[in-house]
Amino acid sequence: MLTEQSSPYWHLCWAYDGSTEFMTHAVEFLRAGLAAGERVWFVVPGAAEPVRDQLLGVRDFADALRTGAAQVHCLAGAYTSTAVIDPASQVAAYRSATRDAVTDGYTGLRVAADATELVRTPTQRDAFARYEQQVNEMMRTEAFRAMCAYDRTQLGEPAIAELACLHPEHNLGHQQFRLYAVPMRQGQVALAGELDPSNHALFRTALDRAELHPVDDELVLEADELRFLDHRALIHLNEYARDRHATVVLRAARSGVARLAALLDLPALRVEAAR
Amino acid sequence: MRTGPAAGRTGYFHEALCYRSEEELLAVVVPFLIGGVEANEPTFVALGERTGNLVRAALPADAKVEFLSGGDVYGRPTAAIRMYRQLLADLVADGATQIRIIGEVPPVGLGPTWDWWARYESAINRAYDDWPLWSMCAYDTRSTAPEVLADVAATHPCFAAPDGRHVPSADYVAPETFLSQVRPMPPDPIQVAPPLVDLLDPTAAQARAAVHQVGQGRLRADEFDDFVVAVSETVTNGLRHGRSPVRFRVWADADRIVATVSDTGTGPVDPYAGLLPSANGTPGGLGLWITHQSCNHVTSHRDAEGFTLRLTAGRPLGA
Repeated sequence: MLTEQSSPYWHLCWAYDGSTEFMTHAVEFLRAGLAAGERVWFVVPGAAEPVRDQLLGVRDFADALRTGAAQVHCLAGAYTSTAVIDPASQVAAYRSATRDAVTDGYTGLRVAADATELVRTPTQRDAFARYEQQVNEMMRTEAFRAMCAYDRTQLGEPAIAELACLHPEHNLGHQQFRLYAVPMRQGQVALAGELDPSNHALFRTALDRAELHPVDDELVLEADELRFLDHRALIHLNEYARDRHATVVLRAARSGVARLAALLDLPALRVEAAR
Repeated sequence: MRTGPAAGRTGYFHEALCYRSEEELLAVVVPFLIGGVEANEPTFVALGERTGNLVRAALPADAKVEFLSGGDVYGRPTAAIRMYRQLLADLVADGATQIRIIGEVPPVGLGPTWDWWARYESAINRAYDDWPLWSMCAYDTRSTAPEVLADVAATHPCFAAPDGRHVPSADYVAPETFLSQVRPMPPDPIQVAPPLVDLLDPTAAQARAAVHQVGQGRLRADEFDDFVVAVSETVTNGLRHGRSPVRFRVWADADRIVATVSDTGTGPVDPYAGLLPSANGTPGGLGLWITHQSCNHVTSHRDAEGFTLRLTAGRPLGA
């Protein structure tokens, strides 16, 4: 089950258990892009040609492959580095490809990528997680949409969770939290889902990887889809803000969050309750 | 300089005022308050509406006595401690040499939920001892159960007698001793039915989801959200600091939800757990302290099978 669509951007993390499942969802995701007038890229591990041949037999794709509306790339064809990704240059590459697509008359660029090979080691994942957040930010201004797919049987769920939590949507179950860029008028990021001791370590890591920068000494976290957070998460947010000489603002939070924060004397945290 | 019977003492002078008539109440309270005003000591009344009005009518109209809303102050014991500690710290920072307060536990607190107020009365001997406070806790012996009065004697070092004397309580026991006693935990009547939820070793998220499933719509949204916080903290504490298996059960009726979290361990070591935020990093202390401020009743029990914490939201029993 997917987390609810909460962002105007489409950036989806899909953990899959078999190549057929990945193929099915990727085709569905990209077909919607074709229908919306986007250029679509299918980025696959291994060689592109066999997948291209396979797609030629899939409804809606044959013509698109011939016109260039649909393209199949191997990982090296889409990513600037397949060892340890460099977030800034990869974001730049996708920004450039998106603008090329728009120049060519498409409404944007949509990518379905099996990135399993790019996140096998902790070092790769750390860099890729930072890239995921930066690409979220890039989507504020570019017509770029993406589905990042990861093979659960090869990576295991904990490794995928490190990446999933930095997507607006994922299919890892609704108990996970999510941290992702939103339009600046809403805040630097949205914090959604549930935070408790089971995912604190992941939350701390995600917050570090998000590399948020205060604006006017404030880090605004849109919290209207934050269903639960406990005192440990609030204390950590306060420390995170204090270390950056800023105030964390939890905007549109449930009123219970404000009551909990009031008990804890957290000078670097402000809760703006929605009700 | 402190005035009255606490002159020369440091810290908290905690008296019980057990009265049998309005006359006896006023005979102690009026001189207590006027004495405070005359000594220029911050002087407060935190009584319920009926007794508060009696006292107000007996005082000179211009007496500089501040009336706190007793109902708001004494909603939940841990919240009362938090409020009073802040008030006392502020007053002393402003130069107060003694603060006087007359308060009373509201009638609902003298019923089935008395146990957490008894723990309050004991814990404040330490919780307020950082400040020069002289307070009296009023109990109407005509309407207060004997077992409650026995706890009053065990938790107040001194009685303020209607004839003006200050009599040490022979039955007083140190808070660490009182708070370590195992108290009975009579079942809430809604616990007679089979629980709506009965889980072994649930994650905190599973416990929260179960409460949402059976409890939503029974309480005010704010009250329900706070209860979910309490459940999450308590289950987390059980899993982290208790001994497996942790059993989580929930009962509910139209306007009340009861949850119990049991484990086979011995429960928190800190006798003040839940009433004071853990000062020395005691495991789980902060979660338990938050839990006590997120429910309308919290009580615990130890027996041969282990430790149980019971949380109640909505209409407390006896209300």
